[in-house]
Amino acid sequence: MRKVWAIVALMALAVFGFAVKGDPTTLVDLTISEPDTMDPHYAYDTASGEVIYNVYENLIAYNGESVTDFVPRLATKWEVLDGGKTYKFYIRKGVKFHLGGDLTPEDVEYSFERGLIFDPAGGPMWMLWEALFGIDSLEGFVEEKFGVSYSDMIDENGEAKPEYKDKLVSVYTDYIDPAIEVEGDAVVFHLVRPFAPFMAILAQGSSWSAVLDKEWAVEVGCWDGKADTWWKYHDIQKEKSPLYAVANGTGPYKLVEWDRTQQKVTLEANENYWREPAKIKKVVIWGVDEWATRRALFEKGDGDVCYVPAQFLSQIEGKEGIEIIKGLPTISVTALHFNWSIKSDSKYIGSGKLDGEGIPPDFFSDEHVRKAFSYAFNYDAMILQVLRGLGKRVPYALPEGLIGYNPDLPMYEFNLLKAREEFKKAFNGELWKKGFKMTLLYNTGNSARQTAAEMLKFYIEQLNPKFKIEVRGVQWPTYLDTYRKGYLPAFIIGWLADYPDPHNFIFTYYHSNGVYGHSQGENYEKFVTTPLEELGGKTLNQVIEEAVAETDPAKRQEMYESVAKVVYSRALGMALYQPLGLRVHRSWLKGWYHNPMRPGDDYYAYSIEF
Amino acid sequence: MTAYIIRRLLLLPLVLFGITLIVFGLFQMLGPDKLLSAYINPNLAEKLSPEEMERFKDKYGLNDPLIVRYGKWISSVLRGDLGWSLVGKEPVASAMAKRIPFTVELALYALVPVVGVGIWLGVAAAVRHNSPVDHFIRIFAIVGWSFPDFVFGLFVLMIFYSVLGWFPPGNMSLWAEEIFKSSAFKHITGLPSIDALLNGQFGVFLDCLRHLVGPILTISWLWWAYLLRITRSSMLEVLRKDYVRTARAKGLDERTVINKHARRNAMIPVTTVAGAMIIGLLSGTVIVEAVFNRTGIGSFVATAATQLDYASVMGGVLFYSTILVLGNLIIDILYAIIDPRIRLT
Repeated sequence: MRKVWAIVALMALAVFGFAVKGDPTTLVDLTISEPDTMDPHYAYDTASGEVIYNVYENLIAYNGESVTDFVPRLATKWEVLDGGKTYKFYIRKGVKFHLGGDLTPEDVEYSFERGLIFDPAGGPMWMLWEALFGIDSLEGFVEEKFGVSYSDMIDENGEAKPEYKDKLVSVYTDYIDPAIEVEGDAVVFHLVRPFAPFMAILAQGSSWSAVLDKEWAVEVGCWDGKADTWWKYHDIQKEKSPLYAVANGTGPYKLVEWDRTQQKVTLEANENYWREPAKIKKVVIWGVDEWATRRALFEKGDGDVCYVPAQFLSQIEGKEGIEIIKGLPTISVTALHFNWSIKSDSKYIGSGKLDGEGIPPDFFSDEHVRKAFSYAFNYDAMILQVLRGLGKRVPYALPEGLIGYNPDLPMYEFNLLKAREEFKKAFNGELWKKGFKMTLLYNTGNSARQTAAEMLKFYIEQLNPKFKIEVRGVQWPTYLDTYRKGYLPAFIIGWLADYPDPHNFIFTYYHSNGVYGHSQGENYEKFVTTPLEELGGKTLNQVIEEAVAETDPAKRQEMYESVAKVVYSRALGMALYQPLGLRVHRSWLKGWYHNPMRPGDDYYAYSIEF
Repeated sequence: MTAYIIRRLLLLPLVLFGITLIVFGLFQMLGPDKLLSAYINPNLAEKLSPEEMERFKDKYGLNDPLIVRYGKWISSVLRGDLGWSLVGKEPVASAMAKRIPFTVELALYALVPVVGVGIWLGVAAAVRHNSPVDHFIRIFAIVGWSFPDFVFGLFVLMIFYSVLGWFPPGNMSLWAEEIFKSSAFKHITGLPSIDALLNGQFGVFLDCLRHLVGPILTISWLWWAYLLRITRSSMLEVLRKDYVRTARAKGLDERTVINKHARRNAMIPVTTVAGAMIIGLLSGTVIVEAVFNRTGIGSFVATAATQLDYASVMGGVLFYSTILVLGNLIIDILYAIIDPRIRLT
């Protein structure tokens, strides 16, 4: 027995005695999410975007912390012509891709065309389709042009049916190809109408506008640049994309490995970069899902950057060598919106009648009900207690920092007296007499949604003993599914900017074709398509559409403010808060700066000084 | 005995068929809308319009009836293709192949401390029945058994990593990983630590061990109680048997009595429990893997289940059922070896 212990002790000694010191050229970024894909035209999440940001480059980039000011990147300069319908970018010379190819204007043209053709379902390419063609998808475009649905034009083997082949070919030759053209050293984009957010859609950080090496892309099996087979490269499954796990950009970092088992992405500095090579030579982005483990690694100094959920912040606050930056502006909002025409077979509206045992499907079509709800919410408590101060109030579903924002616009305050008044007026006083019963859902794990729903329950039930709100947690797929199909009376939902432009928010929440506007029912659609006096006889939809084609920022500001006023006076939704960000890294990390549109970190800017 | 083994093995495909059909059926009961959630990340899904959702469902064939989908799945499995793992972000087979070695490695190293020490403690307690040693061992074990595993895992991590800096989480250190993944490193057995030794990379071997100590410590203490108590009570029962008294009476020394006569006979119930434990270890220990950030099969299947990634779950089901059937077969064979009176027919 003694011998065994001796061996164990010896082994232990050897094991403990082995430790390696950190070095200033390697950075470990501890995070929770893992990239979805390396294909810039499929990636639509922050984790993928972060890798693509560091590996690929776009024509232009945001100037430091600004989201409205642009600087050249792969383009050296640009011109906006035709009153905002034509953009001309001069392409930088002497730039090399990681695998050795030279950057040419043809690469730029190819990259955008390949993206437009690929246009994967649920991907980001709708932004370029909207900007260039005024419609949000390739399939939508085909259907609009020819009156036949895209899927009917393609047979089960993915080949174009003979009778439609010419039409499909013309989609490329007559539309996609002429939209983006090479002119000498420049690439020209032709838009069907002026589109204010176009520059933001192109800027570094928008992975969908990253520039690929055409020769390399064709070689690995991407679209071959031909007009007569393009449909074979349209909407292929994520993992079937040739760019799913490989990358070849012009950026400051090369992708060394995407280890999907350990959720680790390894980047290495590109020593042939056209600017100075990066100071940090190796970057490891490591997904460590368990907070306690991540925290231990970070505190020990085995990580330089760490994702810290707000509720755990107090655990590392005040520790030496850790830098915490709070209250960073994000370009996102969370809002509660009403369903004006709930499906009558919904399980969440009780009897479905105004009899005290449920609510009628058009419950929220009554302006007084919406106003009453808007008054019955303690906005400040929500921000202070649930978000731990990491949020701020906004007048409508538009975050601070974008055109159209104005802190002086009217907002609903928390006022139960006014809520009571409004409830008394609703349904000509019937509601107050009979009461109601309804269910609000949240997805389990989403404490913000849960608290918001419980808060409404708490205050509204105080007003009248006949008012009953049940709050229930479901899995998030159920939550999404039920709200989308119109079964939920009201839903709380956030939006993170795709590009920093008000259109991205206002259209989404308030236009009846917006993703969330769409879910607010037929009565809502009726409302926003009816001319309003306060909008000078225009409909809300119209104003939103006109605002995006307007290039004068002052006029846009005015137009969006007029939308905001309608949102307030008609209580179209409750903007709950704009979340504020949190950043935690070791204090030896230098060079970090905040840009709310950047997915993750810009490792190129960093250095480590122990 | 051979006939028995063959018969049992022939049952395996049947078991696999039954289990996969049940699990697959359960999954499909969720309906296409929920299954779709596996294919899109939550933040993105909130942004999709209903038309796009439909496009997605068609693209992944989620609207097909259960029988069609199961048929597609089983026929591709028979062709050796387990499908695409959404959680692993690569084919299920290779995703599992990359994780199983880490689980097997942990199971292998944990085997000695968990089973060996567990039995040893049990025997020690039984022999010193009702003495302070017995009480101490029992209290010590019960405390371990009563601890939730994630709490104890975190304790181990805090003490041995955060405070002492000895046993970091993860599979191995960055520098070791670089060597491990280099082209010069030959992957012979698939088990990282053994391969490191075979490649003569003693540093990498030690680094692997360093990352294994925490999980092993956690698993051991948590599982000792169970094994120890079975061993102890089984041992106590045997020690009261006539033949033990006879053995003592004929003047054998205590050591021989306990090791040769008593312990072996007390092993039957212990084998059942230990076998189940080994099967459990091989299936992966979800919590321990999560706390120590090890990429084993347990956390893989658990994540897959929470994200409704049915292809990965089905792969896991195949793996678990195979291990379970083979494991139980081995346990049965061990019975026969330990106790010659048991015949496998």
